[in-house]
Amino acid sequence: MMKKRIAVVLMGIFAIAILAMGCGNGEKSQPAKSEPQVLNLFSWADNFSPEVLAAFEKKYNCKINYDVFANNEELLAKIQAGGSQYDLIQPSDYMVSTMIKLNLLEKIDKNKIPNRNNIVKTLKFPAYDPTGDYSVIYTWGMTGIVYNKKYVKETPTSWADLWNPAYKGRVILLNDNREVFGMALKKHGFSNNSIDKDQLDIAFADLKKLAPSVLAYDTDTIKQKFIAEEGWIGTMWSGDASFTYKDNKNIGFVIPKEGTVIWADTFAIPKGAKHKDLAEKFINFMYEPKISAQNYEYIGYNDPNEKAKAFHSKEFLSDPMLKVAVDDVKQGEWLKDIGSGLTLYDRYWTELKTIK
Amino acid sequence: MKKNWRSSALFAYALTILAFLYLPLLILTLYSFNNSRINAVWTGFTFEWYLALVHNRRVIEALTNSLIIATISTIISTILGTMAALALNRYKFKYKAVINGLLYLPILIPEIVMGLSLLVLFSQASVPLGKGTLILAHITFCLSFVIITVNARLEGMHKDLEQAASDLYATPWQTFRYITLPLALPGIVAGALIAFTLSIDDFIISFFVAGPNSTTLPLYVYAMVKRGISPEINALSTVLMFTTISLIVIAQVLQPQHSTAKKKTE
Repeated sequence: MMKKRIAVVLMGIFAIAILAMGCGNGEKSQPAKSEPQVLNLFSWADNFSPEVLAAFEKKYNCKINYDVFANNEELLAKIQAGGSQYDLIQPSDYMVSTMIKLNLLEKIDKNKIPNRNNIVKTLKFPAYDPTGDYSVIYTWGMTGIVYNKKYVKETPTSWADLWNPAYKGRVILLNDNREVFGMALKKHGFSNNSIDKDQLDIAFADLKKLAPSVLAYDTDTIKQKFIAEEGWIGTMWSGDASFTYKDNKNIGFVIPKEGTVIWADTFAIPKGAKHKDLAEKFINFMYEPKISAQNYEYIGYNDPNEKAKAFHSKEFLSDPMLKVAVDDVKQGEWLKDIGSGLTLYDRYWTELKTIK
Repeated sequence: MKKNWRSSALFAYALTILAFLYLPLLILTLYSFNNSRINAVWTGFTFEWYLALVHNRRVIEALTNSLIIATISTIISTILGTMAALALNRYKFKYKAVINGLLYLPILIPEIVMGLSLLVLFSQASVPLGKGTLILAHITFCLSFVIITVNARLEGMHKDLEQAASDLYATPWQTFRYITLPLALPGIVAGALIAFTLSIDDFIISFFVAGPNSTTLPLYVYAMVKRGISPEINALSTVLMFTTISLIVIAQVLQPQHSTAKKKTE
């Protein structure tokens, strides 16, 4: 009697478990029967205008599953662990070259993306993907000098201006060793990918002199610090600067004459993507002039679409920070994967951060 | 007089500890009502961010995912956990202590190790990552907590009631259905609530085993932070926090109430 009951209960649990598994796999078995197709998108959070995504879903009768990651390394790990389930991903510049090297990306069919021709020439064949076979640029930005005009009277032109003793205790640098050392290397006319010990020593010695002036090494809340005017001068990404400027009109932003870091987020298709065709349609869709204007107005980053200019608002086109990243784009040098060279960066970085 | 001074000092000390625990949460909640996009300065009171949440399709999707996953894994882990607790409590068998220990181990294992090992397991067995793997993972870590909670309840129950039922010719099933289950119910409900809370809150393990269309609320919050902390995140965290707190309170209320009631009947 008892045994029978237990058997019945067990069967019940089994049924529930199978049902539960069914929930997870349900979507996959369905598209075969002319159900709306699914685009599995893996990207940064809040990286698209919701209206634009909805417009795409409507136009192609599909559903976008929009999952999010917080950094490139997380993206890489997920793709390596069995990422063939995602159809479209958004790696940053250096991650594109890493993924190409690891053979994780599918070649994009350029014929299916005619709108690719709308992209500004300077960004069509970037150094991280010189043939443009594996990625299409989504947005980009540059690191520059952010300053508050109330306290910094002379417009900075060079990285050397951060060393001005008048700004002691008011300098904020990005909390990233490649950015900080890249900046110091650029100041001396070196490449920001340098792994030459002599050059790094010069940069390190210089940064040690700057260290007592530094209020903080901060990336996550640097915007707040400049809005609240705790920081007067520092290094910031152009997109963040634009954001900061909206809340504090005293903020200025320049790309120093020595050159700087440029970064980009891209579209790429991982190996084995099940809905590659739809992914390519999506990329093409995003570069339709009207759509891309609507999209970039929402996210507030630079639009690489040349044809979209006519549809952008005056406010977007005249945004000083976004404009700087367009005008001075040639000043940028992409950060490369420097491999074991990073060890020295890490050592100096740790040492630098202990100085106060 | 001296005693009075001491107790007030102790009271102040306790308050300090409480402030230490709750001040960050309080500030987080406070800034979810801030009129500014940035957490730097207070500019006025608004419900804007809560409204924005409701209209954000991604948030609603993440919430739905979280609720589906939490509900299914709670049901399964509660049933399995209750059965395991009953078996451990009622029967004597070989290696019982070992099995007991093994069941508690998942609580002690660092979450990151558990997440990683589950990810390795799933990718070795080429199980596609998604809601299914998330549910399996959540059942895995919820199970131990359900067993502990239910077991604690069973430990406190005396066998005499069940024996009395058998004396009165109740079948084992009737005894279970009408005596054991109702008595153990507060423990089972508390266990289920804890399982639900853990599942809703879990970040680390979910982080490893999530796949397409399975972004849960905590995963979404984490990814949002990287875009700059906006009051929308504060609002979302506040909602998450209060849901969790109320569930825990319910679980707490259910536990002691019945044990005092039981003492009275004894």
